[in-house]
Amino acid sequence: MNMSPAPTGPAGEPGSDPLRDRVLAFLRERWDFVALVALAVAPLVVPALGGALGGQVTMLFIYCILALGLNVMVGYTGLVHLGIAAFFGIGAYLFAILTVPMYPFQMRFVTAAAVSALATAGVGLALGAPTLRLRGDYLAIVTLGFGEVVKVTLRNLEQITGGMKGLNPVPPPGAGLKIGGTDLGLAFAIDPRWFYYLALLTLAGVVVAMRRLENSRLGRAWVAVREDELAAEAMGVSATRVKLSAFAMSSAVAGLAGCLYAASLSTTADPNAYDFNRSIMVLCAVILGGLGSIPGTLLGVALLVGFDTVLAPWADSTIQQWNINPSGSSLLSFSGWRLAIFGLALILVMRYRPEGLVPSRRMAAELHEAH
Amino acid sequence: MPLLEVRDLEAGYGPIRALDHVSLDVEDGELVALIGANGAGKTTLLMAISGVVPSRGGSIRFAGSPLTAVKPHEVMRLGIGHAPEGRRIFPRLTVRENLELGGFTQTDRARLSRDIDEACGLFPVLGERMDQLGGTLSGGEQQMLAIARALVGHPRLLLLDEPSLGLAPLVVAKVFEVIASLSARGISVLLVEQNARAALKLAHRGYVLETGRITLTGSGAELAADRRVRDAYLGEG
Repeated sequence: MNMSPAPTGPAGEPGSDPLRDRVLAFLRERWDFVALVALAVAPLVVPALGGALGGQVTMLFIYCILALGLNVMVGYTGLVHLGIAAFFGIGAYLFAILTVPMYPFQMRFVTAAAVSALATAGVGLALGAPTLRLRGDYLAIVTLGFGEVVKVTLRNLEQITGGMKGLNPVPPPGAGLKIGGTDLGLAFAIDPRWFYYLALLTLAGVVVAMRRLENSRLGRAWVAVREDELAAEAMGVSATRVKLSAFAMSSAVAGLAGCLYAASLSTTADPNAYDFNRSIMVLCAVILGGLGSIPGTLLGVALLVGFDTVLAPWADSTIQQWNINPSGSSLLSFSGWRLAIFGLALILVMRYRPEGLVPSRRMAAELHEAH
Repeated sequence: MPLLEVRDLEAGYGPIRALDHVSLDVEDGELVALIGANGAGKTTLLMAISGVVPSRGGSIRFAGSPLTAVKPHEVMRLGIGHAPEGRRIFPRLTVRENLELGGFTQTDRARLSRDIDEACGLFPVLGERMDQLGGTLSGGEQQMLAIARALVGHPRLLLLDEPSLGLAPLVVAKVFEVIASLSARGISVLLVEQNARAALKLAHRGYVLETGRITLTGSGAELAADRRVRDAYLGEG
């Protein structure tokens, strides 16, 4: 906040470098812009992003979008949701149905993504309407159950979803679209940086949209219902409508993330990709980063999903290289301890920083006023 | 025809009968006090008017139309503001955001900000605290915020539930001064108070509620002079 340079001592004295202070202040104020530029430039200077790492970072972006969707319900509106992966999966499968060759639709990427996100919102409304009167634990159980139902349905509805094989091949965006003689779809298929940029751009769009929502009438109504439903109603806020809109928005964003997921993998993968573990992972990321906080949610995903998909495999292969674990015992592999480390980290954060790593201003005030 | 007309209202919770054939009127621009002991049903009456507690019998009419089947969030749109018991401001929203929610039904941003300025005119201290979180205000400031928030919605009738609860005497005087000025501005007020002396001094008329029944009614001065009221509520026995 404080943009004015620190009081200037004699030149060269450590700790009073106005330039450094100004750079730090700039980073604090405009982290979003700095991160966006850094991520946009990265593929041009880091060659590894043209390979497998590029695909992993793309996944990270997709999970960020999913987590921002979940944050609408859990963070802003205070409704516990344990089945966000189901909506991720519904988005992915709808997108696949609208694009794969075995179905007659074969829509363009943008149309298919828009239709599936909207339809996923519709499913969210269908789940939300009958369960509106539930709160806390009860709503959590309903969403948990819904997640399992979706997974099992996707697995058993083989004629439509392809069962355990999933639906594929999902064509890349822009397939058949020629730009300067090259097929855009082919470019997407060959170079992971295309998906990297597509996911980054979508994520940036979602972040901008979430910011605007936070400061909108609807955003205030979400928070008001979370804080005090009765008082909100006395202000003329219809809690019913506000909660339903949170359900719909959350589902739509999760569905959009699902579209990107299916497109970038060129398959929906098998239904187990949308199970309870994934829901919990995303929920943990939001809580770890800070409920209701956009930068917190992004950081939470970067830490948790980054740990899982980038750091853990890397540590495993390093351990293998050192040849410490020739018998392949899981006690000596990093992945064997993955969930334990994960759980311990969460416990520590909840103990020492319950409002999350980058708390929203509201949560920080609530949890620290008692101290 | 009175602005608010409650006739033979019955309401309760499970087997408990909280309101027993309660009848009460508030005329246009009138300040009416409702006094009574703890558990007499004062808050329940306000909750029934604002649609939170369903009525089991009788009728409530506001400006001529029945309120009995109206949903809580629609009551405010008809012109009834409610500053509920315990203030119930949004602690993790700023003062400005609290006030903006008070004008939730106003979609014209320019008008909303005028309405907020107007409400803050009554309580200048709120204007100085606009960007502070509601939960960090003092009790008196929170009460002022609760009243200002209800006023942003331009109510014709304001329901005030125990505005003096837990406040320092000096702050109570300030809050009551503003309440008195509301009827001068044409806003009717139904004031629920345990601080019977202050409420009756202010009110045009008053009602005494005892275990769900209206037992006495009269002008503020009449009630303040009544033997039974003095014994039971003014602590002069």
